[in-house]
Amino acid sequence: MTIDPLYLVQLTLNGLVLGLLYALIAVGLSLIFGVLEIINFAHGEFLMLGAYAMTFMLPVVGLLYAPALLAAVLITALGGFLLFELFLSRLGQHDFERSILITIGLSIMLLHGTQYLVSATPRLVDTELGFDGVAIGDIRITWTRLIGGGLALAAFASLYGLLTRTPFGRAMRAIAQNREAALMVGIKPRTVARNAVVLSTALCGLAGAALAPIQLVQPIMGQFLIFKAFALVIIGGLGNLPGAIAAAVALGLFESWIGGFFEIIWQEAAVFLLMILVLLVRPNGLFGRAIVRAG
Amino acid sequence: MAPVPDIVLALEGVSAGYGDVAVVHDFSAALARGSITTLIGGNGAGKSTLMRAIYGTCRCFAGHIRFDGTAIEAEPPWQRLARGVGLVPQGRCNFPRMSVLENLLMGCYTLPAARRAPAIDRVVGLFPLLAPRLKTTAGNLSGGEQQVLEMAMVLVTEPSLLLLDEPSLGLSPKTQAELFEVVRAIARTGVTILVVEQNVRGALLISDTAIVLDLGRKFLEGPARDVMVDPRIRQAYLGGTIGQQPAA
Repeated sequence: MTIDPLYLVQLTLNGLVLGLLYALIAVGLSLIFGVLEIINFAHGEFLMLGAYAMTFMLPVVGLLYAPALLAAVLITALGGFLLFELFLSRLGQHDFERSILITIGLSIMLLHGTQYLVSATPRLVDTELGFDGVAIGDIRITWTRLIGGGLALAAFASLYGLLTRTPFGRAMRAIAQNREAALMVGIKPRTVARNAVVLSTALCGLAGAALAPIQLVQPIMGQFLIFKAFALVIIGGLGNLPGAIAAAVALGLFESWIGGFFEIIWQEAAVFLLMILVLLVRPNGLFGRAIVRAG
Repeated sequence: MAPVPDIVLALEGVSAGYGDVAVVHDFSAALARGSITTLIGGNGAGKSTLMRAIYGTCRCFAGHIRFDGTAIEAEPPWQRLARGVGLVPQGRCNFPRMSVLENLLMGCYTLPAARRAPAIDRVVGLFPLLAPRLKTTAGNLSGGEQQVLEMAMVLVTEPSLLLLDEPSLGLSPKTQAELFEVVRAIARTGVTILVVEQNVRGALLISDTAIVLDLGRKFLEGPARDVMVDPRIRQAYLGGTIGQQPAA
């Protein structure tokens, strides 16, 4: 097999953007795990929520990218607020089993509810940017991908600043590192848990909204991603945010290369095979477990 | 007429525990301002439960906990902290992946931003050993340094009542002696202290009062120097012979 270098660069760029958007999902999942000690299996549906919010807001704002994206993030964050206030806030500290049932149940209800409301037909989403892009020589990347990747990078930088520089973010790291010490210094665990859920779902909404013009939007889209994101969180080292980001970017690249050079049918299987192999070799993930480590 | 003692904390018939199970039963006591009180008892006597009940991190089923005359048993821990009740729980209780300075900043979590820097300066003055360690990751400090850090994290808020649960656990005898000196120094600044200690002798030496808990109930209360010579206490907690000694 001969590899066309231009094609490789093109695949790498696409994979990089995809990986950065996966990382937004994985980081949120990791943050919720660190602070609430639960896995939010409904996280993928928040991605779908963000994507549909983008899909339905775009025509309202005349196909303008920025306001539709902002609205989608806010709508998803509101969804996260409701998720916490109605369900997650009722969980006790050692209710891991109940948390699995609640979030899987919610995931199924949101998935099928959306299918009922908007049908399962995949939608192609158009924005003011259309399919325009920048071309450097023969390499071409669409604006929607470029902006998506840039937004993800900006979100990681803001998240890092938030977690290390503000009391709001420090409290999240504090609870993840030592719950009893957090109570000792007067942190309100419920408020911090709510903030973590809203922040995580907002990041997921951002990923969904940014993915909408790049991929097909369909109710099942979150299901494809949640198990990958969950695997990424483990591979990156449970609770290790930079680890999750690195693992997600690696996955995006790997997926793009496999999809580009082999038959697409191998893509999903190869990805999970690789992840299983990594965990067999390094049971604690590539970068070791941490407790919401920001740096 | 004897002067009425200035009571900081009054426990009135307190029953406390976890879930539906009470561990401490019908416990009453009063702590005078600026005093040091040692809580003595065997494993499972309810010492830590009582400390948590006062701070609000376990359930209080019955009775009243009055702090400066106000019943606080229904309040969450952060409200009690704001009133001036501080608890340093048993075991390692800091943020191991944050620096010492970040840990102290976390201690200032409930303080307005303008008060944080002076509060940290004050406790670093109180515990000079922290000064050269501010940038060190807390998890890399020695056990004694971590214990001092944890006390400092609570003292930044200037509590008037400090609850110390096993502060000397796992420390070398020399560090234990230094720690007791620190506790005494804190009390001299007017802070009322209730301490649970596995080093009963060391704690009694710096205490004004001792309370003995047995199976969740108050067994004995008195001046520390009297409790120290009480034959029952000597036998049970101060290394006296318990029944027959095994043959050497």
